[in-house]
Amino acid sequence: MTRGTFAYVGQRFVLIALTALVVSSIVFIGVHQLPGNAFLSERQSSPQREAELLHHYGLDKPLPQQYLAWVGGVLHGDLGESLVNRGVRITPLLLRELRVSATLGLFALLFTVVLGMGLGILAATKQNTWIDYAASFGGTVGYSMPNFVTATLLILLTVTGFYAWSGGAFYEDIGWGKPEQVIVPAIALGLYPMAIISRLTRASMLEVIRQDYVRTAWAKGLRPRLVVIRHSLRNALIPVVTILGPITTSVITGSVVIEYIFGIPGLGKEFVNSIFNRDYNIVIGVFTFYAILVGLANLAVDLVYPLLDPRIRY
Amino acid sequence: MATAPSDYALQEDFVASEQYEVGESVSLWQDTWRRMRRNRLALIATAFVLFVLLVAIVSQFWTPYPIWKQGVGPTYQTPTLKHPLGLDQSGRDILSRLMGGAAISMEVGIGTALLSSVIGIVLGLLAGFYRGWIDSIISLVINVWYGIPDLLVVIMIVVITGRRELLFIIIAISITAWVNMARLVRGQTLSLREREFVEAARSIGTRDFSILFRHIFPNALGPIIVQATYLVPSAIIFEAFLSYLGLGVPPPNPSWGAMTAEGYRSLQYAPHITLIPALALGLTLVALNAFGDGLRDALDPRMRR
Repeated sequence: MTRGTFAYVGQRFVLIALTALVVSSIVFIGVHQLPGNAFLSERQSSPQREAELLHHYGLDKPLPQQYLAWVGGVLHGDLGESLVNRGVRITPLLLRELRVSATLGLFALLFTVVLGMGLGILAATKQNTWIDYAASFGGTVGYSMPNFVTATLLILLTVTGFYAWSGGAFYEDIGWGKPEQVIVPAIALGLYPMAIISRLTRASMLEVIRQDYVRTAWAKGLRPRLVVIRHSLRNALIPVVTILGPITTSVITGSVVIEYIFGIPGLGKEFVNSIFNRDYNIVIGVFTFYAILVGLANLAVDLVYPLLDPRIRY
Repeated sequence: MATAPSDYALQEDFVASEQYEVGESVSLWQDTWRRMRRNRLALIATAFVLFVLLVAIVSQFWTPYPIWKQGVGPTYQTPTLKHPLGLDQSGRDILSRLMGGAAISMEVGIGTALLSSVIGIVLGLLAGFYRGWIDSIISLVINVWYGIPDLLVVIMIVVITGRRELLFIIIAISITAWVNMARLVRGQTLSLREREFVEAARSIGTRDFSILFRHIFPNALGPIIVQATYLVPSAIIFEAFLSYLGLGVPPPNPSWGAMTAEGYRSLQYAPHITLIPALALGLTLVALNAFGDGLRDALDPRMRR
């Protein structure tokens, strides 16, 4: 850690904060351009109640003042109160859901990295054989399939397939808590990033195994496993690590639809539900949260990078 | 002379190389097509993409049954001779709807690729060519935009504006999709602007506008076209995703994403309603990406991965 590193990290934090500000203010302004508000049902029964609610949420103040109050709350870790389920504070709600989403996301990432790198190494070491071609084609398929298609096919295969097979015992099993309720969605979520990683690993391995020092390792009679893992893979890993930032983004984005399909009570499902319920306080909260998360993931990748490749300094 | 296949190939290569030597011009596109022809997967993919395009065009004039007409047969019926892909939950002919869906997907894909490419190319050229404060502002916008999950931005735009017609969805997707193109073009421009031919053009007093569009842009065309090709499948995914959530073009428009979602409730007893549009979507996207890969390898063999 040098002074340059600190300056760099500081710069990146400014960028993350800026992104969060831009995102939240755009969503904030956008949401408040909408006709009507979340209290239309109250307006019909009693206008006075509506006014009370507007006052309670601070929605009767001018927009800039509302936004400043919101930013002030965020700085204290408070994202405000749900518009639909009144009295529910958003921050603890999101933190609880984050735990679910993080579990799912980490399983998906694990699946992605292990299988993706494995396939990539296999394809590279068996270049131009049918294994390579099958892995490449599988990569294109995994890369192209939208995750809701993968999810639907997996549900058809597992849940519905098991339904017929188990005589109806498996049906209501969409939800959260059992191991298979983590594994199947994690596969659906991880297939796309897995394809990216396997492609990248293959390309990067192919470049490395043609280097002189790898030939030297073979020439001195090293065991194949050591040549592949210790000499080739370690250097082939560097470009693969860079892609982990964008992959985190895709896992986050993907979790929105996967959680919605599989009925998993995480952040993604909350996002979709809040949009349908017009609970904009939660929408703004989740959105800002995602922007910060993506920023931090990219920053983490950039900080790991120089550890793998000492030539890189900030 | 005996012409075993291998001899023939050799001869063709020889003739080709001789052509290069006499300096006969082989255009970029002829050269690309020659390399692309050797890539079987890319050829199959190209044929499939052309087929989907054809179906999309035909669907505008003719489908076996009207796309919106309900009850042309028993609901949930599996494929029969009269309805080769079966009927959906409202008794609509799935083949007809699939054809209509091809048109929507292709319109969104190509429309978005064109619109976001134009935005990305113009901003990228400006940022790379003028550098300075213009570049600072455009790069900042790119970096901020890059840190936001784009799909969620599109959902937000559609929800906030409440508009769901096709053209608006194309605009909404383009608002986020231009970023990668702008990054690519900016990088290309930064390196091209230092080359001798740009220097030469500037020294004879060529105006900035024609340096940008007559000298720099054509030289970056290869990677730009590859990038634009990849924009088509990603835009199709966005639209299908929006429709899947019920935020895309309003029903009863036959979007593949919406069709996949509609059949979801009857997945157990009539899986074909979901499976057919899902597979059509998947196959089209695989073909588009394989086509993009083939084009990339053919345009610049050094980029081959």
